[in-house]
Amino acid sequence: MSPAEKPPIIEVKHLTIGYDERIVQKDLNFQVRKGEVFVILGGSGSGKSSLLKCMIGLLAPLEGEILFDGVDMLTAEGEEHLNLLKKFGVMYQSGALFGSMTLVENARLPLDEFTRLDLDERELVALTKLNQVGLLEAARRMPAELSGGMQKRAGIARAMALDPAILFLDEPSAGLDPITSAGLDRLIRSLSRDFGITCVVVTHELQSIFAIADRCIMVDAQRKTLIAEGKPAELRDHSEDPVVRQFFRREADPEQGRQTG
Amino acid sequence: MRPVAVGPQVGVELTETPSGGALMVLSGALDVRTAAATRREISTQLSGKTFQAVEIDASRLEHGDASGMVILYELTHGRFTPGVLATLRGLRPELEKLLQAFPPPADVQAAERHAPRKPIAVEVGAATLGLGRDFLEVVAFLGRLSIAAGAIIRRPRWLRPSELARVFEKAGANALFIVSLISLLTGLIIAFEAAQPLKTFGAQIYIANMIGLVMVRELGPIMTAIVFAGRTGSAFAAELGTMKVNEELDALRTMGLDPTRFLVIQRVLAGTLAMPLLTAYSMAMGILGGVIVTKLMGFPLALIWKQLTSALGLDDILFGLVKAVVFGTVVSALGCYHGVHTRQGPSAVGDSATRAVVSGILLIIIIDAIFSVFAFALDI
Repeated sequence: MSPAEKPPIIEVKHLTIGYDERIVQKDLNFQVRKGEVFVILGGSGSGKSSLLKCMIGLLAPLEGEILFDGVDMLTAEGEEHLNLLKKFGVMYQSGALFGSMTLVENARLPLDEFTRLDLDERELVALTKLNQVGLLEAARRMPAELSGGMQKRAGIARAMALDPAILFLDEPSAGLDPITSAGLDRLIRSLSRDFGITCVVVTHELQSIFAIADRCIMVDAQRKTLIAEGKPAELRDHSEDPVVRQFFRREADPEQGRQTG
Repeated sequence: MRPVAVGPQVGVELTETPSGGALMVLSGALDVRTAAATRREISTQLSGKTFQAVEIDASRLEHGDASGMVILYELTHGRFTPGVLATLRGLRPELEKLLQAFPPPADVQAAERHAPRKPIAVEVGAATLGLGRDFLEVVAFLGRLSIAAGAIIRRPRWLRPSELARVFEKAGANALFIVSLISLLTGLIIAFEAAQPLKTFGAQIYIANMIGLVMVRELGPIMTAIVFAGRTGSAFAAELGTMKVNEELDALRTMGLDPTRFLVIQRVLAGTLAMPLLTAYSMAMGILGGVIVTKLMGFPLALIWKQLTSALGLDDILFGLVKAVVFGTVVSALGCYHGVHTRQGPSAVGDSATRAVVSGILLIIIIDAIFSVFAFALDI
């Protein structure tokens, strides 16, 4: 069964995001299907990071609902809310590792807090997660001693500690060299293919999009809503929308071109 | 043996085979929710028994995750059955992949090796060398500060008056409230505490003399300096420390701007100017507190004033203000020193602020002691 036929795991309905009076995106409707790599695209300032924050519950939307397996993220409380949080893991843009803990302690933290396994066992699971992202040898090092790419990979290991069904990744390739970035892309693909994890990725790196995405949506800063949805290659080759075509063909904004050129 | 249900979702069934082995059938979901209970159940069922071999039939495991697979990993690596590695069959392919993601035991051990502890002599040596290095850095910092001061005297426009004014306002004017409160209350407290013993000798009017001397020569400068170290010294360290961490100091250097001249001098100068003003204010507030108490005891204001002026000379006030100038310079410079020497890492800025306050207060007391000894010797 290809991901396209699979049932939705996240449903976003009539979502409007904004800060106080300023609306960032309005009336967003889309579904993320089980097991796919779903990419949220958009230029700088288009609100794709706000959308991600909204989906993981850090930012309350102005309107609309977000359903995880049919459970509303916004109204879930107590035990139900906690169970929902355990369903997904988040890799933050800079890794957001706790600086006072070693990598393995970082990856072990969710296990320490939410399981009753022995220390040895928790340690083993954490080391396995680090092994999966290729950081087993760095397990005893502190985050500050690592490069940016390693911190992001460690961030993924920590996000995976409780084997979430969904992994949210905020700009995984931002600020990384092409080789490291390609390595991360491969890791994301393998998480989806081998372990069936649904990945929701926010990015604007073209190469990365073609390497990982099963489907993508694009949000636009001017029109403040979703302007495209589909497979990246289809959008590149067949989209009629000038902004989408511009994005995929890496063309400069004509307005900007006139001003600067 | 009857299958025993542990928790809602996993079953462990152990049967002994005629050849002295054991067959363990696992069923249900072995995941983060059931793993701990499953481990307990397996330990209980295996306890007190020895088997030649253990075979695990996992074909009825329907669901699992890494936290659950850790149990299978331990079984197949002989943690439950010392010396006997369990064999595994029938595991679903997706769970097999999870299990395969576990690193081999040798790698786990390698990763678990802690850094070897250094011998104590090496630790002591490193700490001593560190102290020496710190001292050299302080000297270098003072050198840079002097050079920057010299440069600014030659080119006053480098002083950046707007920055100086901003820092001066934050360090000086904004501290008035807390200095008022602390000084006034200190004056009140000392007067009240002294009233009782002095009453025995009928010498209550001398509270005015005492408050005057104590506030002007000691407590005014000291209390203000301690507040200053806590408010401003730490702020300087945190501010410059954040700039250091954000590479703003590096950006200044590569633009050809010396951070000492661009940021430090203004702060040290603002501190040096603000401290005597705050101290003078603090002296006045402290004395006011004492006067209030003396007045409450029924002494006329004119008498209190006469006592104060007879006890206090201009030299006492100057002595207090000179101390304040020194405290201001030292505390500001220390704050800036710890700021620009902030290390990397998430707690570095906090550490710098702490060091600025602790070393600031320590030096205030030491310098005050030196002043007192000299004052005694010179009869000031």
